[in-house]
Amino acid sequence: MIEMAKKVILVDDDLEDCELFLTFFANRSDIDILPPLLNGVELIDYLAKINSDDDLPNLIILDQNMPKMNGKQTLAFLKSEKRYAKISAVIYSTYTDSALVADCKKLGAAIVATKPIDNDGYQKMMDDFLRNL
Amino acid sequence: MKSLSVTDLQNEVERLRAELAEANDTLHAIRTGQIDALIVNDESGHSVFTLTSADRAYRLFIEQMIEGAVTLNVEGLVTYSNSQFARMVQRPLPKIMGNYFLDFILDEDIPLFKEFLSKGWTTNVKCDMRLKGLDKSVDVQMSCNILEMDDDISLSVIVTDLTQQKAIERELKAKNHQLAKLNEALIASNNDLQQFASVASHDLQEPLRKIQVFTKFLIAKASSELSETSQTYLDKIFKAAQRMKALIVDILTYSKLSADDVLVQAVDLKDLVTEILDDFDLRIEEKNASVDVSDLCVVQGNRGQLRQVFHNLISNALKFASPSRPPVISIQSKKLDPREHNLILDNPSCYCLVTVSDNGIGFEEAYASSIFSLFETLNPKSKYEGSGIGLSIAKKIIDKHHGLILAKSKVGEGSEFNVILPLKQP
Repeated sequence: MIEMAKKVILVDDDLEDCELFLTFFANRSDIDILPPLLNGVELIDYLAKINSDDDLPNLIILDQNMPKMNGKQTLAFLKSEKRYAKISAVIYSTYTDSALVADCKKLGAAIVATKPIDNDGYQKMMDDFLRNL
Repeated sequence: MKSLSVTDLQNEVERLRAELAEANDTLHAIRTGQIDALIVNDESGHSVFTLTSADRAYRLFIEQMIEGAVTLNVEGLVTYSNSQFARMVQRPLPKIMGNYFLDFILDEDIPLFKEFLSKGWTTNVKCDMRLKGLDKSVDVQMSCNILEMDDDISLSVIVTDLTQQKAIERELKAKNHQLAKLNEALIASNNDLQQFASVASHDLQEPLRKIQVFTKFLIAKASSELSETSQTYLDKIFKAAQRMKALIVDILTYSKLSADDVLVQAVDLKDLVTEILDDFDLRIEEKNASVDVSDLCVVQGNRGQLRQVFHNLISNALKFASPSRPPVISIQSKKLDPREHNLILDNPSCYCLVTVSDNGIGFEEAYASSIFSLFETLNPKSKYEGSGIGLSIAKKIIDKHHGLILAKSKVGEGSEFNVILPLKQP
């Protein structure tokens, strides 16, 4: 049986980072990168429009610093909604300290990662994310 | 025995009555203090009795009290006043006695006084109010007691001058207010600082990361088209960004040290050091270093912070290795001998001494204390990377743990860092 590609969605207000993300993962067949969204509010709207639970993403990657609704707030919302709680959600941020890691883990983040700076770092990060699915 | 006529008897009764009336008058005079001496006529002649009774001692005592003492009759007239009260209201005694006490109360406080007086006739009460002096008002406390003598009832009022106390109270209040304001400013300033630290942490690192990302991109994509010099430039840009990132992270760590204060865990330093050495696995292998760790003590403290201390010390020991020999690092727990470190301690057994020593390049003893200052580096950046904050962080953490960190070194031979930690935190 062929394993289905995992649907991965990135939520990040930094357009350059969104572009980098798409560039680094363009060649991976094990993941299906959905068009990135700019903040938590957009994500919630997006998820609400999906009719079948089967079409929900398998992995949500949240940047911490975003306008309107940051990573932590979005994470808290997702974990409080029965429909979305089971979706694996991770936080990734330019700067992570022990307080952020502890807070996000408490809220139910599978992983809290620091944004990588090169292709190797990105691939390794994605492998870590997928291992949790 | 001679028999007496009725007239004789009547005269005798008359005489005795007169004597009795005289005795009663005398008694009354004694009681009311009108008499200072008595002359009694008996068989042995005249005897003089002066009245140096307890009553008189009390009068003297009352005269010399710091408090004002006044007695009032039922109508509120002053029947007695000591001179202290006269001084308080700035009037001579004759202008006080026989006047209404109400006349010496500040107009605004008259309702208060009336209430005090009406309560005072039934129970002992105390009340703060103001007297009306000739040119000033006087803060006082009044307390009253009912005095019952014979059929007479009067009210004794003790008046305590509160001028000084009130002045101190006012000053204290002003100082407290000032202190509260300063405290507010301090809290605001601390919040600003924390805010700044968190903005700096993210907003400064974001563009820095981009520099790293795109330099890496450029190195990966275009290095074949670039000259060797241009490639070196890219490499320098990348390294500079890396250094700046390390700097920001270190400054942040340093500034956040004041923020959390949890110092309650029991920390096994041996476990801690073993854990840190695992992290340095690769570098230890690369440098062919040997590390010797003895049994270390268990102290109370913040595990994460103490980890940072030993991480920084071990990292330094590896970084400043001598080029001529592989690093030999030793981490030992020793019994603290206060004399060795010029310390005066009540109970040295309450402390744990951990020594981290190496055979690295060392430094001049003259810098033994300045190396703990922020941004102090002794070696050229080109040769040894670092922000110059590592040891400042270590010192700040040890300070917060009520400990001491001391350095010893000899150029070319090695360095020794002594960490003295109390076993228990207060």
